[in-house]
Amino acid sequence: MNAPDLTEHARKNREFWDGQSAEYDERNARFIERGLAWGLWQIPEAELQVLGDVGSKDVLELGCGAAEWSRSLAGAGARPVGLDNSQVRLDRARAANEAAGVEFSLLHASAEAIPLEDDSFDIVMADWGAPTFADPYLYVPEVARVLRRGGLFAFSGATPLNWLCIDEQTDTYVDRLERPYFGMHRWEAPDGSVEFMLPLGEWIRLFRRSGFLVEDLIEVQPPEGAESTYRTPEETAWARRWPMEQIWKVRRT
Amino acid sequence: MTLSEHAERNKEAWTGYAPEYAANAERAWGQEDVTWGVWQIPDAEVHALPDVAGKDVVELGCGTAYISAWLARKGARVTGVDVTPAQLETARAMQAKFDLEFPLVEASAEDVPLPDASFDLAVSEYGASIWADPYLWIPEASRLLRPGGELVFLVNGTILVLCFQEQEIRPDEQLRRPYFGMHRFEWPDDPGVDFHLGYGDWIRLLRANGFEVEDLIELQAPEGAPPHRYEAIAGPEWARKWPSEEIWRARKTG
Repeated sequence: MNAPDLTEHARKNREFWDGQSAEYDERNARFIERGLAWGLWQIPEAELQVLGDVGSKDVLELGCGAAEWSRSLAGAGARPVGLDNSQVRLDRARAANEAAGVEFSLLHASAEAIPLEDDSFDIVMADWGAPTFADPYLYVPEVARVLRRGGLFAFSGATPLNWLCIDEQTDTYVDRLERPYFGMHRWEAPDGSVEFMLPLGEWIRLFRRSGFLVEDLIEVQPPEGAESTYRTPEETAWARRWPMEQIWKVRRT
Repeated sequence: MTLSEHAERNKEAWTGYAPEYAANAERAWGQEDVTWGVWQIPDAEVHALPDVAGKDVVELGCGTAYISAWLARKGARVTGVDVTPAQLETARAMQAKFDLEFPLVEASAEDVPLPDASFDLAVSEYGASIWADPYLWIPEASRLLRPGGELVFLVNGTILVLCFQEQEIRPDEQLRRPYFGMHRFEWPDDPGVDFHLGYGDWIRLLRANGFEVEDLIELQAPEGAPPHRYEAIAGPEWARKWPSEEIWRARKTG
């Protein structure tokens, strides 16, 4: 997809990710290169049981970054395709794939306009990635389009409560509601990126309108003392009390 | 039928509240429109309910049965279920006053003496949905519904429960208790027991009992809404920003 076709926020986020790719990997790459595991605290898929058996399944990863997930899925017998909005991130993925001797398609595109055929995947997944930085009203219908009937869409990201409780002055989580719940959708972060979040009822209505059945909402509670390169121990302590990260599981009917 | 310990306690608590509800029952029964919760948001606006004409409807935790009355006027064949005899007495007095008869059953929604698959819609508003244990009443609602039947119930806003101040008896902006493990709540100076679940727990419970989740309607106080008499449920300023009430809509599959 050509840059002029991108939405304004997709352009901003492309620039943001191109710019912070090296620093991101420096901080997190070692932590997340650990197989099939979800999110801020890398909770194993074997424990959360989100995707089920992935063997011989066509899987699309939205916002694959350096494609840690897709490489692990390939190792588990899936046929992955990694999509990312940042060419710099995809260069990382390509280098890592070569180093690991793994091969699969990597696509440079926004999740808001997926340059792939209808009905071509059994699973679409994202561990944070695109759903944090793309507009749900654009990518949820796109995911429905590229999924086969009965296909699974599973993705992690922030919770509404996470959004409500960030003190922008100090950039920390507080045990206080800092902003309203109603109307949450788009947030221009001070770092130049644009992030998206919906109230839970809005998510459910969007899924159903797009032809999905809601199967689960997993609110991730990190185990005591869980490690993370994404969150400080104080933030992890917050997340032990209130959900900071959630995983939606919805199925195309 | 033996009542659970919390059902016994809630029956006693509601026997105490019954005179206050009796005093307001006539106004509630006299209302023309079907509305939701303390902000009286018209169902025509949020579309929580299906067309009820000709349908068999059970109200779980009906209290003075004003919701049943509204739905009966729209052509539903309603049955009200409540655990508190004093509340049902008020409901019976209103039936006589408004000349609108329908069956009233004295029972907890956790154990309803009615046959399987006998209703098209189960509804609960400030009833079983708050004062019965969801792990007991949701399976009962599922049992009572026919395949394809609908379940519509209103609960307190989840964030409201997290922010509730025990002393002031209303929420503010402070998270006062953890979300993980939400289930059974007892409050100082409140003889009753109420139940509140996290969102994921609701979804899993509904699905485990054969329901598809169709909607979660988070009610927002209308602009310029005047304060209402149920102060514990949040004032208009709070309820403009955060959901004070949430309606789940689910459909029994099969």
